[in-house]
Amino acid sequence: MIKGKGIPLAISFLTGTIIIIAFFIPHAPFGSFEEISLRWYSIIAGFTMLLGVDSLLRLHTNKIKRKENHWAYSIVLLFGFLLIVIVGIISTIRYGNAFLTGSGFMYMYDNMIIPLQSTMFSLLAFFIASAAYRAFRARNFDATLLLITAIIVMFGRVPISEMISPKIPIFTEWIMSVPQMAAKRGIIIGIALGAIGVSLRIILGIERSYLS
Amino acid sequence: MKRHLLLFLCMISISVFSQELIDSTNVALIDTAITEMQHSGIVLNVCDTPNDDGTSITIKWDINDSLKGYLMDIHRIHGECDTAIALDMNPEKGIHTDNMVHGGTNYMYYALFKKDDIVKKTDNSLPVKAIGQWFNKERFDSFIVLLLIAGAFAWFIYLAKKGKSFYIRKIAGLDAVEEAVGRSTEMGKPIMYLLGIGYVTDIPTIAGLTILGRVAKKAAEYDTRIMVPSYDPVVMTTAQEVVKEAFTEAGRPDAYRKEDTMYITQDQFGYAAGVDGMMMREKPGAIFLQGLFFAESLILAETGYSIGAIQIAGTTETAQLPFFVAACDYTLIGEEMMAASVYLEREPLMLGSIVAEDLIKIIIVFVLIIGFILGLLGHGFKIGFFTDMFEWLVRII
Amino acid sequence: MAISTSIWIWIAALLTLSIYSFLYKDNPFYKFSEKILVGISIGYTVSIYFHNTIIAKVWNPLVHDHNFLVIVPLILGLLMFSRLFKGKAYLSRIPIAFVVGTGCGMSIPSSFENLFKQVQGTMPQVFTIGNIIILIGVLSTLIYFFFSVEHKGIIGKVTRVGITFIMIGFGAAFGATIMARISLFIGRIQFLLGDWLGIIS
Repeated sequence: MIKGKGIPLAISFLTGTIIIIAFFIPHAPFGSFEEISLRWYSIIAGFTMLLGVDSLLRLHTNKIKRKENHWAYSIVLLFGFLLIVIVGIISTIRYGNAFLTGSGFMYMYDNMIIPLQSTMFSLLAFFIASAAYRAFRARNFDATLLLITAIIVMFGRVPISEMISPKIPIFTEWIMSVPQMAAKRGIIIGIALGAIGVSLRIILGIERSYLS
Repeated sequence: MKRHLLLFLCMISISVFSQELIDSTNVALIDTAITEMQHSGIVLNVCDTPNDDGTSITIKWDINDSLKGYLMDIHRIHGECDTAIALDMNPEKGIHTDNMVHGGTNYMYYALFKKDDIVKKTDNSLPVKAIGQWFNKERFDSFIVLLLIAGAFAWFIYLAKKGKSFYIRKIAGLDAVEEAVGRSTEMGKPIMYLLGIGYVTDIPTIAGLTILGRVAKKAAEYDTRIMVPSYDPVVMTTAQEVVKEAFTEAGRPDAYRKEDTMYITQDQFGYAAGVDGMMMREKPGAIFLQGLFFAESLILAETGYSIGAIQIAGTTETAQLPFFVAACDYTLIGEEMMAASVYLEREPLMLGSIVAEDLIKIIIVFVLIIGFILGLLGHGFKIGFFTDMFEWLVRII
Repeated sequence: MAISTSIWIWIAALLTLSIYSFLYKDNPFYKFSEKILVGISIGYTVSIYFHNTIIAKVWNPLVHDHNFLVIVPLILGLLMFSRLFKGKAYLSRIPIAFVVGTGCGMSIPSSFENLFKQVQGTMPQVFTIGNIIILIGVLSTLIYFFFSVEHKGIIGKVTRVGITFIMIGFGAAFGATIMARISLFIGRIQFLLGDWLGIIS
């Protein structure tokens, strides 16, 4: 019994149903159920994080042990991980809280993680150009429509378009607020219904692939 | 079926129970104290905040011109205890909610208006207590819609159980799953499945996990490796469960490799960097991007394109869908992704639920058309009756 | 301005350049930066979780506030570790079922909000060509998402209109994002040429 899917399915059903009921009943104990569930979720996630770290570190230590391809870079990853953990502990001892501005921990965050994140983010400037070029080469009706609209909107949002004709930015805004808005609304209505569908399928136990 | 009926009965019993309690809520609302402010003519209205769990009191007032430029403090009195609950507030705000009260306890309030050395004080209000409500009246319309949707689901699932078969239209991106897995197998390359940067509490991630089950089963049947680099550890553990179950269902539990569903990092661009690197080195033949994606979507999809993988994407993030459409071979748009696991499994009960969703869509289409006609006759042709009808419809929604 | 003498600026600049080298091809510099980013960010995330979850939501409520309700999620969290023991992994389904149930339960009310907001927004308050186009766009897009009917005949034509709206919508969103993405790149170039090399102020 306990090894089967019965108990987990019952838990999903009860949790989901109580949260739905709580949406309509503000009175205690229902009113705070969603907040409590989220708090519990974050505690579960906190413990599961250790499983995640275990998975990552095990993968890379195994790579190093077996001298697999690119194993030397796994040492870099482990070094980075250990370095920030050690700096974090030292910062906690020294400042009482590692997250204080000026601590070594935050220095590493600000000068290593932030620039790396920003640079990864800025790669999008190149990728967006290559994706647009691809749409240009696709030469089917839908891709052409997408690309032409993209060019009009992009052009309408740079100052030069207004110098050529003040109607261009107005037309761009019209595209954003009429056909773009219409498509977005239709898609969002579909998503809302789809989300309700997925949720009910899981709560009712029709969809159970997430449990082995 | 019992479970479906139970849910349905739960909803009905709440509605009956709540009606009774709405009345007691109204009694609570009458429990309102009105106090005149000394020398100013200002009235403080204090009342229990409606539709809450009984832990707040709402204080309202109308400011007059003589108090312009003043700052306002509000004090709560409970027995001997006088607590300032708001300091140096702009009185023009006209409303303040005290969320730090205990339900069922009597409180009194007074306000101070301050400017330079001048301080004006109101009388203490009459006692007021916060009372929790058993039904949120503002959500009555949602409740009716929930009953409607739950009813439609129960009905179509019942029909499916009775043996009625339902049709589902072709979804090109999902027909390509077999091709993508097959091609990877032929090329001797692994499959990569990305669930994005959502959490297990996000529906797109849950939908992505259900599709993963179907894709992993095909991968197991083809004896192809499936890699699932994850952003969130709970998603990772759930994905491990899903893949393991799929391999067991396909009769290949021995081929399941736990370490292929691995954790990367819970940093958006760290995840993108790690997955990009993995794509370049493992060179998967097919990449599935199904879940919740944000700005990293195009970084992943373009790298996937550069290694020549077949890419099937799907998300509910409308801001990211254009990038997937431009960079991937197939894209499941919004609800298509939500319906994907049903499409791939074709299980009658699940198909019934899809038909139920379509029924709700038909109702929405009718509501929009009726709204359009009423609006045209009311606002367009200025016929008062239709204007009222239109406003009534909008208000209900 | 002169070239920076700060070690941190140099580290940030070299890491920036190594990430950009990925645009050419996968190379040792990118691999190094990638592993540094993953390694450090996971260490940082673990610290955040330890601080915000284990200490703030488990240790403090349990030890200082004597809130013993915390024991329930604590047990659920610990059940996740059953995956490490052969034959006991099935116990981890219990917390997974709880979080999935929570997600599904929460999504229904928020989906309602979305649904009502979008339907209400589509109701035309004023009669303009734009509002009529929006209505046609919403209806045809919605009909595109009908799954239980075949897209042929009149439905096929309506869904074709729907796809056209969707593509125009996607194109508009695509075009509106391009400049924002380019400005991100400009930001990094300003850092390299300004903060690091001191060529621009």
